[in-house]
Amino acid sequence: MSTGPFAAVRDYFGFVLAIARSVQREGLSWSASIKAAWDIGVESMPILLVIAGFIGSNLSLQGHAAFAPLGAQRMLGMFVSLAGVRELAPIIAGSMVAAKAGTQMASQLGVMRIQEQLDALEVMAVDPLSHLVAPRLAGIMLALPALVIVATFTMIAAAYAAAVMQLGVAGPTFLRFAAEGVRPIDFAYGEVKGAVFGAVICTVSCWYGFHCGSGPEGVGRATNQAVVTSAVLCVVLNYLLSEVMYGG
Amino acid sequence: MPLIIPTPEASPPEAVIEVEGVYRAFGSNEVLKNIHVAIPARRTTAIIGPSGTGKSVLLKHIVGLLKPDRGTIRIFGQDIHALPRKQLYALRKRMGMLFQAGALFDSISVGENIAFPLIHHGGGLSEAEIRQKVEEKLEMVEMAGFYDRPTAALSGGQRKRVSLARAIIMEPEIVFFDEPNSGLDPLTSDTIDQLIRDMKAKLGITFVVISHDIVGTVGVADYICVLERGGVATFGPTAEVLQSDHPMVRAFLSRNLDLDHIDGGQVPLPTARPSTEA
Repeated sequence: MSTGPFAAVRDYFGFVLAIARSVQREGLSWSASIKAAWDIGVESMPILLVIAGFIGSNLSLQGHAAFAPLGAQRMLGMFVSLAGVRELAPIIAGSMVAAKAGTQMASQLGVMRIQEQLDALEVMAVDPLSHLVAPRLAGIMLALPALVIVATFTMIAAAYAAAVMQLGVAGPTFLRFAAEGVRPIDFAYGEVKGAVFGAVICTVSCWYGFHCGSGPEGVGRATNQAVVTSAVLCVVLNYLLSEVMYGG
Repeated sequence: MPLIIPTPEASPPEAVIEVEGVYRAFGSNEVLKNIHVAIPARRTTAIIGPSGTGKSVLLKHIVGLLKPDRGTIRIFGQDIHALPRKQLYALRKRMGMLFQAGALFDSISVGENIAFPLIHHGGGLSEAEIRQKVEEKLEMVEMAGFYDRPTAALSGGQRKRVSLARAIIMEPEIVFFDEPNSGLDPLTSDTIDQLIRDMKAKLGITFVVISHDIVGTVGVADYICVLERGGVATFGPTAEVLQSDHPMVRAFLSRNLDLDHIDGGQVPLPTARPSTEA
């Protein structure tokens, strides 16, 4: 791997360009991509359901605590749907996928690098980018938007349950304000964020895996750097995308 | 038992791999310094030398995994580092390589590992035809009946054999061996050497063996290239290299061979086989 942050960024964009060229040259295996999407979705689902559920409940608790002194508890549904659909669902789904699938990609490819399996693919005239990275990229870009939808509805359902059963908010009121708080385009924006986060998580994780240092220590370091970099980039990109989508 | 040294040829066959003025440094570490080697076709050439002399780095340059800072490498007359990817892959389909640790995919079976290049480049072979070809190669490497075995359960020696079967499945014109004996016990190491000799006799193609195992490589090589600190100390037919008066070459080889008693094309071996640990 190149030394210095600028060289690393240049290398990363070179890697992304090489993936695009590889797909253009070799095509994309849809069966491998759908399998990758299924694996990513299934692996990330349990943890995502738990995290999204508890964050939704927490949103209700905190929102209620903030609105109650103002007598605006009925606005809780709007608060939850705005925060959940627009911001939290994409970022939570992205973080969970980075933690589960991203680390797996970095470590799998890192092990393949140190065991010379990536070199073996090259020598066998099989492009590792089209064989290993492109299906994972397509898979994550299919799976993550779906996981964003799952996270959105889990969060709202958990927030509803906490609001109605624990905090005494009327169910129809919660739902009416929740529906008023978001527009259909907000769901579409969430999907776009999911796809962008997926692309970033996959390319960053695969890049670290491909450029992994020698030995188990190198794989460990690559995996750690992959998840940290992916998470930071997702948060920064979330802000920038929100600015483009909702700003001004 | 002494090693049999191949009789030198009057004139070597045409070169299939031409390494010209290759220089490569990693930071301030100059690993390859102006390497010139012409590897003859349909012969076995061993590239040997002490650890850290750049043998594996040279091999990675030859197969195009690394690019030299200076110099060219031509295989079948084509500059491997100047080729667009499509032509590079076409060239690589004419080569096979046995990696140091096998580089097998543990998630698939032995048969699927060997079939891997065929599945990608087999040109529409049926499943039965692929299986038949794989079974043939498994038999050649004395691993018949291993098709459905899990790769992860193989021993070190078995991994090398399966890797060799994969390297020859596309019927290549050149096969590269990166440290075929490393990490093996002396008995398994001898079996691998014998396998290389058998393959050489059966296939009649170009073999390039990278090793620091002097006994193993001298026993299989028609030509030897000895590397010394990133440069070529000597290169030539095995018999000539064994009689070289280059001080480093002589010191390196005489650790494992009795060079003072070469007689009638045979070189005596030490009584105990040296360690082959990498």
